[in-house]
Amino acid sequence: MNQTVVSYLSKYEFYDYLLALFGNNQGVLAFTIYFLLALIIIGMCATIGGLGTYAERKISADLQARLGPNRVGPYGLLQMLADGVKMMTKEDIMPFTADKALFYLAPLLCLVGVFATLAVLPFAGGFIMADLNVGIFYLVAISSFVGLGVFLGGYASNSKWSMLGGMRGASQIISYEIPVTISILAIVLLAGGMGFGTIVGQQGGLPHQWFLFHNPFAFIAFFVYGVGALAETNRAPFDLPEAESELVSGYHTEYTGMRFGFFALAEYIEVFVVCGVAASLFLGGYNVPGITIDILPVQAAQFVIFMTKTLILYYVVIWIRWTLPRLRVDQLMSVCWKYLTPIAIFNLIGCAIWMVVFNGKSIAELVLGSH
Amino acid sequence: MFLEFLFISSAVLTVSCALGVLVVKNIMHSCVFLLGSLMGVAGLYATLGADFVAVTQIMVYVGGVVILMLFAVMLTGGTDFISRAQNLLGLAPSMGNKWTYGMGLFVGVVFLLTNIKLLMGLTQTLPTKTINNEFPSTVTEIGHLLVKDHVLAFEISSVLLLGALVGAAIIARPRKQN
Amino acid sequence: MIPAEFDGLMPVVIFMGLAVLLFFGGHFLSVALAPKKPSHLKSTPYECGELPVGSAWSMFNVRFYVVGLIFIIFDVESVLMFPVASIFRELNDMGQGGYALIIFLSFISVLIEGIAYCWRKGDLDWVKSFQHSLKKETK
Repeated sequence: MNQTVVSYLSKYEFYDYLLALFGNNQGVLAFTIYFLLALIIIGMCATIGGLGTYAERKISADLQARLGPNRVGPYGLLQMLADGVKMMTKEDIMPFTADKALFYLAPLLCLVGVFATLAVLPFAGGFIMADLNVGIFYLVAISSFVGLGVFLGGYASNSKWSMLGGMRGASQIISYEIPVTISILAIVLLAGGMGFGTIVGQQGGLPHQWFLFHNPFAFIAFFVYGVGALAETNRAPFDLPEAESELVSGYHTEYTGMRFGFFALAEYIEVFVVCGVAASLFLGGYNVPGITIDILPVQAAQFVIFMTKTLILYYVVIWIRWTLPRLRVDQLMSVCWKYLTPIAIFNLIGCAIWMVVFNGKSIAELVLGSH
Repeated sequence: MFLEFLFISSAVLTVSCALGVLVVKNIMHSCVFLLGSLMGVAGLYATLGADFVAVTQIMVYVGGVVILMLFAVMLTGGTDFISRAQNLLGLAPSMGNKWTYGMGLFVGVVFLLTNIKLLMGLTQTLPTKTINNEFPSTVTEIGHLLVKDHVLAFEISSVLLLGALVGAAIIARPRKQN
Repeated sequence: MIPAEFDGLMPVVIFMGLAVLLFFGGHFLSVALAPKKPSHLKSTPYECGELPVGSAWSMFNVRFYVVGLIFIIFDVESVLMFPVASIFRELNDMGQGGYALIIFLSFISVLIEGIAYCWRKGDLDWVKSFQHSLKKETK
């Protein structure tokens, strides 16, 4: 059965008081709770996305021995607000050759695809908005909206740079979905379920209980997932769709003001989501070492642990961007189809055989004896 | 209440977008309308409690088929070639030869018979719905069915997909110009 | 307890709805705050300062289409593998691990055959796809 925040909260006494307050209307109460929590999560993720742009510049400056933004607010921390205000007050320009309807629609598709993934992201035990049975599968499926948004954005602009960027972006995103999906399949196989609750619940708080160190194949699968995820979010070294030195800025060349802002916001939140998925699939998710009960202080600790893991991965993603050079487009495709996909299939087979031969035990369990 | 809302909005989305696909002249716009229609169908599956099928619908159709269609449109240079046909009958001879029309007629007859068979059932009372509590979720049920009852279909489907892959590769391969 | 109908679906719809709301809200703010001085030159497509020649909607390479086709096949295969993978542990605990493994491996081996065929025939090469087939035919 699908677990949700509301079904989690309904175990407590105050839920009955709330229910009485809403005139015993389950639907309205559930809607209110979901709506408020969704607002909080979106606000949080938008802040993280905004801080992501700041962190990107600050970390890149750090890696290149520069100062980075330091004028607006302490240490330049308010830079994201300044950026936001600037985007809102910029004139909205649309090329007169553009396909107007699709030009409007493209950023919306990106935004919908990214926001819908937030519904299943496991922040803490019990506080997954909806722990769907098809959790990770749903996440992979719904994030394909981003590819469509990128393509339509490039197409609708009717500019050569945008068109090239959009075509490249869409083919890159769909290609790298294959190794990512197969790596995720390996983890689904180990966990015995697609729901995030099941996957995280099968792991423990300490590193030897993580799926990352479950067996050698899962260890490789993590890196396949990581590379594929970088490509799916159009991050360097796979940022060919928006390669600034060859395609101006790719599919969003013609976008200005708020619509450009939506593309950027969607991209930064998607990086966060991808890091969160990596943390919960491979790095033990929100598990606190040694404690499994769901009470409020523990949940706060779980939230902190999840965010720490995710933000460390976020840092690594930015670090990679400013360290590695960009791939060529034929290298991009051969990396995907000739290296990552065969390796991912090999990992999947390896995990299946490991499950049967060692009866689902991890390396640590085999070495240290049962539990 | 919520389920009714979801059902009505999905149904409206499906039907109106399907109409949009037919009415709109711009082929790119019809692709996007098709996307909306397919999403509506996914919503309908979700209202029926078939979460796995709904997500599969999104994954395969929205993530794959619509993008493939957009690529296929781009092969021809996008919307620079908007159809200038006056009416349907004027277009008909260019749409195929006698074999394709024969196939179309055959498919139409089969479709009609299937629909008649389906509509015959409407007059009877529906059997009461039995809820199967053997499995915790539809995913587990589908998995068990694929591994146990329908294992042959599962394996044959992989061969079918192999055939599709080889066929796709052969058709799309560039040929030497003679 | 919560009726089953509220499980799961509602947050998904709410998040999608909020995305749409945010989009139109942002648009509204932008329309309210931003200046509006359109000119023809400003709204030409950007081509590094030159006046654009022709439309960007030209015929694209067939490779993108081939990639899309191969992607769909793999997509459907992974869709079929997901339910089997998610009950693999359960079957293994029931002592049917070997049976499940054989079914799973025979499914994947066909997938591997497909990718091996495409690799051998050069359909996975991005640039050399055409030269590869020319070389094959002239031999």
